[in-house]
Amino acid sequence: MLRRNIRLRREYLYRKNLEGKERLLYEKKRKIKQALEDGKPIPTELRNEEAALRQEIDLEDENTAVPRTHIDDEYAHAMERDPKILLTTSRNPSAPLKQFVKELTIVFPNAQRMNRGGQVISEIIETCRAHDFTDVILVHEHRGVPDGLIVSHLPFGPTAYFGLLNVVTRHDIKDKKAIGTMPEAYPHLILNNFSTKLGQRTANILKHLFPVPKPDTKRIVTFANQSDYVSFRHHLYEKDGGPKSVELKEIGPRFELRLYQVKLGTVDQTEAQIEWVIRPYMNTSKKRKFIGD
Amino acid sequence: MVNSEEAGLQVLRRLKSTDPPTWLAPNPSLAQDARAASLHLFSSLQPFAPKSPFDRLLVDGFDAEQIWQQIDLQSQPLLSGLRRELRRFEKNPAEISDLFGGGEAPEGKGKGRGGGVDDLGGEGMEVDGFVELDEDGDSDGEEDGEGGAEERGVEGGESGESEEGEEERNDVGIEDKFLKIKELKEYLQKDEAREYGLEDGSKKNKKEKKTVASDSDEEEEEDEEEEEGDDDDDDDDELGEFDVDDEDDGGMGKLGSARYEDFFGGKKEKVAPRKYRSSDGLESSTDDEGEENGADGNKGNHNLSTHEKELLDLKAKIEQMEKSNLEPKTWTMQGEVTAAKRPKNSALEVDLDFEHNARPAPVITEEVTASLEELIRNRILEGHFDDVEKPPSLPTKAPREIKELDENKSKRGLAEIYEEEYAQRTNLASAPLSFSDELKKEASLLFKKVCLKLDALSHFHFAPKPIIEDMSIQANVPALAMEEIAPLAVSDAAMLAPEEVFAGKGNIKDETELTQADRKRRRAKKKRINKAEATKRMAKKGRETALNRSEGKEE
Repeated sequence: MLRRNIRLRREYLYRKNLEGKERLLYEKKRKIKQALEDGKPIPTELRNEEAALRQEIDLEDENTAVPRTHIDDEYAHAMERDPKILLTTSRNPSAPLKQFVKELTIVFPNAQRMNRGGQVISEIIETCRAHDFTDVILVHEHRGVPDGLIVSHLPFGPTAYFGLLNVVTRHDIKDKKAIGTMPEAYPHLILNNFSTKLGQRTANILKHLFPVPKPDTKRIVTFANQSDYVSFRHHLYEKDGGPKSVELKEIGPRFELRLYQVKLGTVDQTEAQIEWVIRPYMNTSKKRKFIGD
Repeated sequence: MVNSEEAGLQVLRRLKSTDPPTWLAPNPSLAQDARAASLHLFSSLQPFAPKSPFDRLLVDGFDAEQIWQQIDLQSQPLLSGLRRELRRFEKNPAEISDLFGGGEAPEGKGKGRGGGVDDLGGEGMEVDGFVELDEDGDSDGEEDGEGGAEERGVEGGESGESEEGEEERNDVGIEDKFLKIKELKEYLQKDEAREYGLEDGSKKNKKEKKTVASDSDEEEEEDEEEEEGDDDDDDDDELGEFDVDDEDDGGMGKLGSARYEDFFGGKKEKVAPRKYRSSDGLESSTDDEGEENGADGNKGNHNLSTHEKELLDLKAKIEQMEKSNLEPKTWTMQGEVTAAKRPKNSALEVDLDFEHNARPAPVITEEVTASLEELIRNRILEGHFDDVEKPPSLPTKAPREIKELDENKSKRGLAEIYEEEYAQRTNLASAPLSFSDELKKEASLLFKKVCLKLDALSHFHFAPKPIIEDMSIQANVPALAMEEIAPLAVSDAAMLAPEEVFAGKGNIKDETELTQADRKRRRAKKKRINKAEATKRMAKKGRETALNRSEGKEE
């Protein structure tokens, strides 16, 4: 495992190094493509390399056409495997928090819960890497009310720190019969209004917590963004016959997520580079929307 | 008469005794009783009402509104008189006992009052005259049964009456237990005396007389106001304002009626002493500046002019502000205040207001939930989800080559084909190219390169380079490189010995180390070489062109 890690690290550095050159190449290819499409003569600076580049353009497929950045690279291979999630809490969780984590374990398919006990974060991350987990989710609380969610993608992936608001858990709803059981099929996802670059990044992070679903599942998980507050909703739907009517039944917890930090490392890497952090004391932060409209 | 009285009283008693809930539903008998009762009351008031147009209340066939208005017409003038009486009694409670002492006194007083009322109602008469006109119009309206005109006329009548009532007893309209016009008047007088420096004793007396005298003045003025008021659509408030203006005017009138002599006495006699006194006042004021209560002390001297008084005021204010500037500020005015610097729990009492720069958390209302569900429904109907998509998997098997059957007759005979095959099998040395296809050759070349790179990435163990025929052999690498136990990952540059990198003799100088003479030498050398080359080229060209020409000529 050590050697694998070394190799991965070297690959990463190599690719990061190549990024600049690749970008140049990509630019040149793009210019040639543009000139060919427009029917214009190829720009003079590319005349010498034109033949070689033309050949490469012909041989390209959709994977190679786009220049890769090291930032979203973490999810490059994520789509090939189903995600495997580990859920834990902060230390000494209260009973409502434990219930909430249990619910979340059912919400995320292929997720496991672990008692926190007295473990240190770095230990947790090490064991997760060893057991091939793709994501770790930590849930924090304040006097029984869950108030923090940390989603960390594992092989050195990005970590997103969310604050939770307006949490309504299934346990709060006393009437068990009304709410029924939660199905465990892989759900469809709806990500609404993640329009900026940061929004796309957050959407990516949240998206890759779920596996590829079957097209006919009845379970829907929604992340809807409204002025930087992302609402999480979990529904079951029924299509009543022909007339375009869809009946929604809400199951599962509902809460609002508020992103306050994205780091380019895992949770235990405290000196990792910060990709984005919220700045609430800036005078214009009220007017700006970072995730969507 | 008695019978009707009795009947009326009976009716009243009956009305009084009915249960309150019965009033909620319309009850014709109760209505009848009410009408009878109001009739009785009207007639009992009739002797005291000054000149009411109705001798008795017209009840039959009239609307509630109309009955009320008749009652109003009768009672409005009464009301003002009654109120006056009440106030008088308030002031002199002794009179009440007088009233009840004499049996006939009430009547006589009543008459006297009536007379008094008539006095005021002297104008009241005039007003009544107006009102009558209106009422005639009213009655015409009523008879004709034109609701609109009637209402307007009635309204005019009403407002006229209300105006009259208001203005006649302007105090009554505004006064309540807090505001008393008399007190207001007194206060105004005192204040003006203070401001304008009228002497207390004589001036007050004069004013009192003037108030008494100007009562009639006021009322005359009010009359005029009334007449104006009649014409407009008035609110009571506006009339109230008129009243206040009246007051002010009256007040100013009182002061306005003061003359030069009041301030400065006789023009010749008292000017000098007055001036002296006023200057005295000034000096005293300057002396008293030091005092904190200087202003008040100086105001004791009423002989300061208005301007001087204003100056004193200003000075007092300035002093006070300067003093407060010197004191330490309250904690709310200080900049950064920690809990230790302010009194306990004082932050709870202050209304703190600051801008929050973060948007507040959204409240999840019904509408929000409904809109979210709408969104979800639409997405479901469209079938547009943001799921993770499976990446396009690389083909594990190469696509099968579809061998096209060539239907043309083969150019080579069968024997020749067999011959080649045999040769191939036996002659391994001269093995022709196993790959017939150029592309395949190229692909295998590329693949070998990739494999080399991957090997370099994955381990430091050396694997010899594959023998690729077209690969250019680096001249720089010595032959022993192939067998060196150096890791592949080390760059080629390190494999070369320094002599192999650069073989040169003599004193090698860098560009920056050259002197001027050296540079000149180098330049000259370059030029020589270039010149030589140029001549060579020219010679070549000359020969070529000559050849061409000759060839051309030959042709």
